[in-house]
Amino acid sequence: MSHIEARILTKKEVAQDIFKLSLFCPEIASTVIPGQFVHIECGKDKKFILRRPFSVHRQINEDVFEILFQVVGKGTKSLAEVEVDSCLDIIGPLGNGFKIPDDCKNVLLVAGGIGVAPLVFLAEKLFLSKISFNVLIGCANCQKVVRFPLKDEMTGKIYFSTDDGSLGSKGNAADLLLNHLRKNEKPDRIFACGPEPMLKAVTSIATRNGISCFLSLEERMACGIGACLSCVCKTKSGNKRVCVDGPVFNAFDILWE
Amino acid sequence: MEPSLSVDIAGIKMKNPVMTASGTFGSGVEYSDFVDLSKLGAIVTKGVTLNERLGNPTPRIYETPCGMLNSIGLQNKGVEAFIREDLKFLEKFDVPVIVNIAGSTIEEYTRVAERLSEESMVKGLELNISCPNVKDGGLAFGASVKSAVKVTSAVRKTTRLPLIVKLSPNVGNIVDIAKGVEDVGADAVSLINTLIGMAIDINSFEPQLANVFGGLSGPAVKPIAVAMVWQVSQAVDIPVIGMGGIINAEDALEFFLVGAKAIAVGTANFIYPEATIKIINGLREFLKKSDFKNISDIINKVKV
Ligand SMILES: Cc1cc2nc3c(=O)[nH]c(=O)nc-3n(C[C@H](O)[C@H](O)[C@H](O)COP(=O)(O)OP(=O)(O)OC[C@H]3O[C@@H](n4cnc5c(N)ncnc54)[C@H](O)[C@@H]3O)c2cc1C
Ligand SMILES: Cc1cc2nc3c(=O)[nH]c(=O)nc-3n(C[C@H](O)[C@H](O)[C@H](O)COP(=O)(O)O)c2cc1C
Ligand code: FES
Repeated sequence: MSHIEARILTKKEVAQDIFKLSLFCPEIASTVIPGQFVHIECGKDKKFILRRPFSVHRQINEDVFEILFQVVGKGTKSLAEVEVDSCLDIIGPLGNGFKIPDDCKNVLLVAGGIGVAPLVFLAEKLFLSKISFNVLIGCANCQKVVRFPLKDEMTGKIYFSTDDGSLGSKGNAADLLLNHLRKNEKPDRIFACGPEPMLKAVTSIATRNGISCFLSLEERMACGIGACLSCVCKTKSGNKRVCVDGPVFNAFDILWE
Repeated sequence: MEPSLSVDIAGIKMKNPVMTASGTFGSGVEYSDFVDLSKLGAIVTKGVTLNERLGNPTPRIYETPCGMLNSIGLQNKGVEAFIREDLKFLEKFDVPVIVNIAGSTIEEYTRVAERLSEESMVKGLELNISCPNVKDGGLAFGASVKSAVKVTSAVRKTTRLPLIVKLSPNVGNIVDIAKGVEDVGADAVSLINTLIGMAIDINSFEPQLANVFGGLSGPAVKPIAVAMVWQVSQAVDIPVIGMGGIINAEDALEFFLVGAKAIAVGTANFIYPEATIKIINGLREFLKKSDFKNISDIINKVKV
């Protein structure tokens, strides 16, 4: 875990209000695993003080990683305004990350909106480990769709749904998942990331179909390193901190409010 | 010659006057990747109660201009697990450990105090009678002179450890409470705890915190904290530990100038995990640059 300055190499608006930053930061890029996140100071000298957590979106090489974020409030707005070649104050890599068991052969990745961010990194690791996978992405509309940057030789298929039907099937990620399971072979495991209602729906579908399921959760965070107890979620084994015990949890351990 | 930063707070010898504020530094474990804990003046741990507490529902925090609201609600694993796990971890560091204690009843406070007094690792107790985030207790004790005095004198009878009473700013007159607890044997007072606050989501019409209210901390509260430390340090003879919005050495200096003998760093730890160390170094630089030999040379030296 490091607290360092990372230089911004590139910045790109990849979809409406969705930005991608690539950061030069060997300390993090060389050690991070899929599902881990970084805690970024978004507003030095601004009125807001707390860092904001963002998943690592891709590990480009040993020196560079990317984040993908959606502008939803003042922190992300300010992050969207940073200049290339300036530096960001970052703590990371944080959290547990996705675990891929050895006997896993066929995986399903389910993303709701900006939840695709950590799943791209995971997909790249799955490809390197020669594990086959498919990707389901639910978005609000076609303007919000982020291209899932899989290389051609990667095995996975990508299916989209949009709330308004402007791309792929009409509906949300959970509808897409139900549909997919009806037509395809049962996966060994589901990994999902997205808004809470979607994660709840995915969990109940996985339960009904008897499929192992792991989720990346979000909670408001202050410290990001396990000290403040602001980010807890309820699980079968008591309160867990999303920042250090997660953000990835076994869906069947979570006690939803 | 290097200026001296060491202080003695109620018999607790510290290398420097920089402590951690309860609840913002875990038990130190969480920060040990960033901070050499042995370099701190003292570690004040997260509030401990007799039995495990699960705390409040989420969301537990909300950011406000230059500050944050929290309603953690004293989540902790209870005094026995705290001793077994957290105190055990701290054994390998050369730093005084002060344990922040809380309770719903006077008996709970005294039982926790008694139990911790058996542990040689514990160098002092900080009585949290000012937590705004639990309905049963906490602030209930700190809100009036009478109840503050009652719980302080009860705990005083059960322990020989240095006893620090942590004061709430959510009261009519903080000076009266400080004087009251001094009279019944408090060895020091620390202030301020968080200020009660509330924030609303204008889209859903709901409060931003599941607990409705939270405690405000961070730079936004600093002027209030400085004023209260000044008022209290004029009124009592026991040491005053100042806190509230301290981010850097300059902030800390304001507190020393109005009479604090030591300071504690809270919310700043969340933003810069090494904040405490930077503040210690900054204080040393300041003394050197201004030709002061000792931190005590600037305590209570404000010109008013
Ligand atoms: C482990 C983790 C990984 C994340 N990864 C990504 C990512 O890869 N890309 C991305 O775009 N976002 C990610 N998020 C969410 C991101 O942190 C929030 O969108 C961001 O903090 C909002 O900051 P803001 O100042 O713009 O919004 P604010 O002005 O603080 O709030 C705007 C809205 O965002 C909500 N919000 C605030 N903090 C969070 C939070 N931590 N999680 C969810 N909602 C929040 C608020 O309730 C409010 O509705 C992640 C969150 C966590 C906990
Ligand atoms: C997340 C959080 C948890 C806290 N928990 C406790 C606690 O358990 N006991 C206590 O006495 N004070 C607690 N406090 C109050 C702080 O110790 C401190 O008095 C207050 O935050 C003001 O200092 P600051 O502005 O530097 O944070 C907590 C504060 C925060 C932000
Ligand atoms: S954000 Fe502080 S404990 Fe998770």
